[in-house]
Amino acid sequence: MKNFLTRYSLNYVRSLVYMLQASEYHVGDFLDWFWRTRDFLHVEERKTLVKTPKAVVFLCFGYTTLVVLYVCALWLLSTATAVWSYLVFFFAIVGVPFVLTYILAVFTVAVRFMQWPVERSIVASAKKKLKEHKGLKIAIAGSYGKTSMREILKTVLGRSKKVSAPPGSHNTPLGISSFVNGLQGDEEVLIFELGEYYPGDIRKLCDFVEPDRGVITGVNEAHLEKFKSIEQTQKTIFELANYLKGKTLYVNGENILAKNYATALTPPILKEVPDRAEDLNPSARRLATPFTKGRINFYTRSGSGKWKVENATTNLQGTTFTLVSGEQTISAHSHLLGLHQVGPLVAAADIASTLGLTPTQIERGISETKPFAHRLEPKTDAHGVTTLDDSYNGNPDGVRAVIDFLASLHGSRRFYVTPGLVEMGPKKEEVHTEIGRELARAGIEKVVLLRNSVTPFIEKGLQEERYAGEIIWFAKALEAFSALSNLTVQGDVVLLQNDWPDQYA
Amino acid sequence: MKTIAVIFGGRSAEHDVSIITAHIPIIESLTAMGGFDIWPVYITKEGDWYSDKAMNDMAFFKQSDYEAILKKQKKVRLSFDNGLEVIWPGILDKKVKIDVVFPAMHGTYGEDGSLQGVLRMAKVPFVGCDMASSAVAMDKAFTKQVLFAEGVPVVPFVWFTREDFVSKDGILKEKIEKLRYPLFVKPVHLGSSIGITKVTGKSRHPGESRDPELENAIEVAFHYDDKVLVEEGVENLIEVTLPIIGNDVLTLASVERPLNKTEFFDFKDKYLSGGKGSGVNSEYSEVPAKIDEALIKEVQKLGKKTYRALGCSGIARVDFLIESTTKKVFVNEVNTLPGSLYVHNWKKSGVSGVELVRRLVVLAEERFAQQQALTHTFSSDILSKVGGPKAY
Repeated sequence: MKNFLTRYSLNYVRSLVYMLQASEYHVGDFLDWFWRTRDFLHVEERKTLVKTPKAVVFLCFGYTTLVVLYVCALWLLSTATAVWSYLVFFFAIVGVPFVLTYILAVFTVAVRFMQWPVERSIVASAKKKLKEHKGLKIAIAGSYGKTSMREILKTVLGRSKKVSAPPGSHNTPLGISSFVNGLQGDEEVLIFELGEYYPGDIRKLCDFVEPDRGVITGVNEAHLEKFKSIEQTQKTIFELANYLKGKTLYVNGENILAKNYATALTPPILKEVPDRAEDLNPSARRLATPFTKGRINFYTRSGSGKWKVENATTNLQGTTFTLVSGEQTISAHSHLLGLHQVGPLVAAADIASTLGLTPTQIERGISETKPFAHRLEPKTDAHGVTTLDDSYNGNPDGVRAVIDFLASLHGSRRFYVTPGLVEMGPKKEEVHTEIGRELARAGIEKVVLLRNSVTPFIEKGLQEERYAGEIIWFAKALEAFSALSNLTVQGDVVLLQNDWPDQYA
Repeated sequence: MKTIAVIFGGRSAEHDVSIITAHIPIIESLTAMGGFDIWPVYITKEGDWYSDKAMNDMAFFKQSDYEAILKKQKKVRLSFDNGLEVIWPGILDKKVKIDVVFPAMHGTYGEDGSLQGVLRMAKVPFVGCDMASSAVAMDKAFTKQVLFAEGVPVVPFVWFTREDFVSKDGILKEKIEKLRYPLFVKPVHLGSSIGITKVTGKSRHPGESRDPELENAIEVAFHYDDKVLVEEGVENLIEVTLPIIGNDVLTLASVERPLNKTEFFDFKDKYLSGGKGSGVNSEYSEVPAKIDEALIKEVQKLGKKTYRALGCSGIARVDFLIESTTKKVFVNEVNTLPGSLYVHNWKKSGVSGVELVRRLVVLAEERFAQQQALTHTFSSDILSKVGGPKAY
């Protein structure tokens, strides 16, 4: 009852607008959230409403509509003559928040319709500017790991080339347009993340960006609730492969879904791709053409392109390995943590060498790569407790990689803190139970879980593997964080895995 | 679920420090541990007692008007009816029975045995040192006297009361004359280095027995206390401290060296320069202290001996003065409720805040059980004989 009444608080409109903003004005997501939420007073837990001009318009519209609705209800009351009209008044008052929500949804659609021509002209002008730009354009697509790949490429290539990439998660046409408008024109390499929310998104972005190279970081269950099936996700992400006719595409060979899909596209001779496409004999090159006309370069912790990886090791200080290609060697040390980082680093090294960078330049570039904010970023406090902030990693492959990394750390007591993953759709149980099993197999000493609809599956997986460590439960993330400083001692490693955005809480 | 009362604040110079200790790490750790119904019991600087679960959050005390908020609440009363009960008086009293108490008060009334005496009377288990050891440790002169008698090395000292200082001026001066400068003048009951002055002897005029610097220092000390200690300073000084927990079996934390900026560890260094959110005294110290292994062993040995000589239980911290050239170790004082339980040190010694608090609660219950097993009464017919016919 108390929760029901939160719909009648003054803050209700703000909560609705915040949720519209958090779900990027997608009406479906917004309405899903509306019917899932009970308490409308406490929705801005992790972030707060950013008062953009659009949000202010929505706030004004929301509050005006609210007033109008109540005035209408009162008018009903003033004209009431019979008992039933009082009943109508009562239901009108009770129904105001629900009616308001749907009016806001319709308003959102209307605004999008009005924005469309404006957006189209902004994008068209940016596209023209980009087409004339001489820089090499690299596009990155994938369910996860795009930002890490972008940062690795930026750092490794940036050592010797002028590189630019849209900041943050500017991966929609409008975001990319504002980036393009700010370009100086003398950039040698431009790197774009292609965001995928619905089928056709990647194709549209490719038409816009017209990339010369592509990287597919992997396909998994992230955004499965939107794509409905993993096949649909694969198809959408590989729209990049379709576009890149005759141009090189790098594919994460450690991701089974991406690897299988790419292999099916590629003639058998290219499956292992040991050499450059240009080196293939004419018949092989002909075989390589049916789909991409170019070549697919898989990248893994064993190598990519012409580079083979040797002696890869990892610890809390970073990852070290040697790259060998004929007479050339690169002694690489990156501050990135985990062997799963080797693949993307080698892909970057290979792209760098095709752009003419020397092994020394590549070595220096790799040495400058370091963890990005909230992506397996280590911080050691004054008490000697190391926290690995991996709160932006919310996908099953990333989680697996991180558990592998934790498993490789010896001599430290390890805490794994997670609220589970979002948007796993029908795979929810399977994905989380598997995380539980992996944690148990890795021998993680303490698993800290936040109570919600998915963490019981992690517990189930832990039990299935006869987990010998301790499971510690908390109701809220903040409670867990404040408790952690009292649960840890010097030398402990605390991994913070994934943070749920408010619209999923 | 056990009901635990954390008592903090109080009429003490270390009132605010106590609020920090109560929350970081005690209430935070109890919360993290689960299984406890935690009642914060706060004593104002005026001595009024309040209890409200809102005070479990440190943020309550960060409000500038928290004292005004409290004044609107009912003060609580205590009942000692075979156990401790916290009572909010009203037409129908609200009562909460307390299973165990965690005193988190520093200094007077909280750390000097007063609160411990009340809790003994109430027949409730409580964390930390008992009444007698708290009272002795709170008095720096008593501590030195006990330790000296037990053969634990302490620096030469002289103690006196305000009355002595007036009436036995000559004798005292003579005694102090025998001490080697620099001297430290300390109020015997105060913690946190309050009222302590270092006397260098530079203001003494040759041939004159009067030392204005010393007199000022004693004046300052008497401003805070009615009993004062004058002791020899240690040359080539290294200060270290050792937190200890246990009743019969002792667990030692790491030997810690405060890296004080000023000449000695004063209040500001101790409490005001600490790191954010980590309780008091977490920075400006070296854990473990980088000193000779032999010195570490000596400190650990003397630490245990001191803890036992004073009859400590639960937790205490022993402070040492080391003459670094001669490697001579002296025990300086004992603190029966170290600020924030010295959790920063315990964490570096492999004991988390939760583990520390858990063990302290268990130790409290064990000591209580042992005390209850003792016989405190016996039957006699002495009363019936009072006023009766005298036997010839």
